[in-house]
Amino acid sequence: MELFQYDFMQRALIAGLITAVACPLIGIFVVVRRQAMIGDGLGHIAFAGVMGGYVLGVYPTAVAALVTMLGAAAIEFVRHRHMRQADTALAIFFYSGIALAVIFSSMAKVPGNGMIGVLFGSILTVTGADIWLIAGSGVLVLGVMHRYFDRLLLMAFDEDVAHVSGINTGLTGTIFSMMAALVVVVGMRVVGILLVSSLMVIPVAAAQLLRRGFRATLALAVAFSVISVLGGLVLSFNLDIAPGGTIVVTAVAIYLIMLVCADLNVNFTLTRKKSADTIVKSGHKNSY
Amino acid sequence: MFDIAIKNVSFAYGDNKVLSDLSLTVAAGDFVAIVGPNGAGKSTILKLIAGLVRPADGVVQVGGKVVRDACYSCEIGYVPQHYANNTAGFPATVEEIVALGLTSSGSKRVKREGARHIVKHMLDLVGLEGLNHRLVGELSGGQQQRVMVARALAANPGLLLLDEPTSGVDYETGTKLYGLLGEINRNLGITIVAVSHDIDKVTRFANKVACINNGLCFYGDSTEFRHNHAGAPHFFPYQKV
Repeated sequence: MELFQYDFMQRALIAGLITAVACPLIGIFVVVRRQAMIGDGLGHIAFAGVMGGYVLGVYPTAVAALVTMLGAAAIEFVRHRHMRQADTALAIFFYSGIALAVIFSSMAKVPGNGMIGVLFGSILTVTGADIWLIAGSGVLVLGVMHRYFDRLLLMAFDEDVAHVSGINTGLTGTIFSMMAALVVVVGMRVVGILLVSSLMVIPVAAAQLLRRGFRATLALAVAFSVISVLGGLVLSFNLDIAPGGTIVVTAVAIYLIMLVCADLNVNFTLTRKKSADTIVKSGHKNSY
Repeated sequence: MFDIAIKNVSFAYGDNKVLSDLSLTVAAGDFVAIVGPNGAGKSTILKLIAGLVRPADGVVQVGGKVVRDACYSCEIGYVPQHYANNTAGFPATVEEIVALGLTSSGSKRVKREGARHIVKHMLDLVGLEGLNHRLVGELSGGQQQRVMVARALAANPGLLLLDEPTSGVDYETGTKLYGLLGEINRNLGITIVAVSHDIDKVTRFANKVACINNGLCFYGDSTEFRHNHAGAPHFFPYQKV
């Protein structure tokens, strides 16, 4: 692996691998809660944070992390209190984010590739400070998700049931949204805010095609995500093309391969269903 | 097992008053069927007992304690009406779904081996042994219902609440499910409250019936209700005046 002898590629690899693990970990809950677009929305808010950082002259990624986490908490608060208007409220948050980003960008002195880097990612320009922020965020996300995994799973399955089970769904949902915000900011450096939610959704969607249980689906999604990042980095280095886009295209390719595999697997699936039908017809007591 | 006391409860969704000055007492160990026409407030009563909504007036008590919020942790098992939406594309095995019953903020985390043993026991109880590793979305409607009951029972609840547990399943499957609930009620002594449109089926296995139609218009033995109801399974003879 000659390409990883370069410092910038080593930093890119570290940032990419942390993102590759964190994104599906958040993404699986985002997908099963049918909130696949929330990553895009949080990306808009992160965009405002980065531009706000440039205006204030403060480390933009850190400002983005803070602003996006606050935005995520506000979104969860509105979603929890006004469930019926949740979609509209979310849209208003997202539009506000992009509008503020546009205003801030007109006020700030953004470096030449700054805007493009935020929108489309710039994993090869990840700095030492970025690595510390990404690594710290990754450890925090892993720790929190480990602590809240069962509760989030029950909430994803049915929020009312979780509430009756004594889980503080408001607090748990807010913590989850803040972790999602952190992952968006981490992913922003790798693939950009326009593509960050793709790393949350596509590996999970590919893993779901293999029809396994929740934990197995998560493990597969992380594996697909890691392969996407590694494959994307190697391809982009050798072909001299944009790494962010290449990572996402690799993830899409894996999804398409899984789709074909799932289709080819029809006979196997039918065999399993046939077995179940046979059990039903034979009058097994489990059959109704 | 828990008793339930609903005292002079009123509730409205915005301007739409659903319950007005309702009082109802359920003894510990009873299996109560709540029946009535659409919009009568049956599911709302269940949500009030579960602590999912709060009464505008009056008080709801479960096991002698006032329900202010869903604060009973794993002591109430709740099977909501719309579960089928969740299971259809949910990537989880039967074992994972039933193990969700062990998740609550109030109880200590059950160790993996202990959880596996409880899940196996629950699946045996509802007659689904051997299906641990099947995806729940691949099961039939009746099997999914029993998975939901197993999940609710996994927490060893004193009260089991079910909202339209047989919606979307055929007659025979619905009858078997209520039969299973009757067995659970008799053998484990768990208080059960089930909201249902399947009057004929649910009243065969419940020992009490509460009919809601502009308020509580009947509450008594299911045999008495069935006697008055004979031959008209979808007609509500009771109307509160």
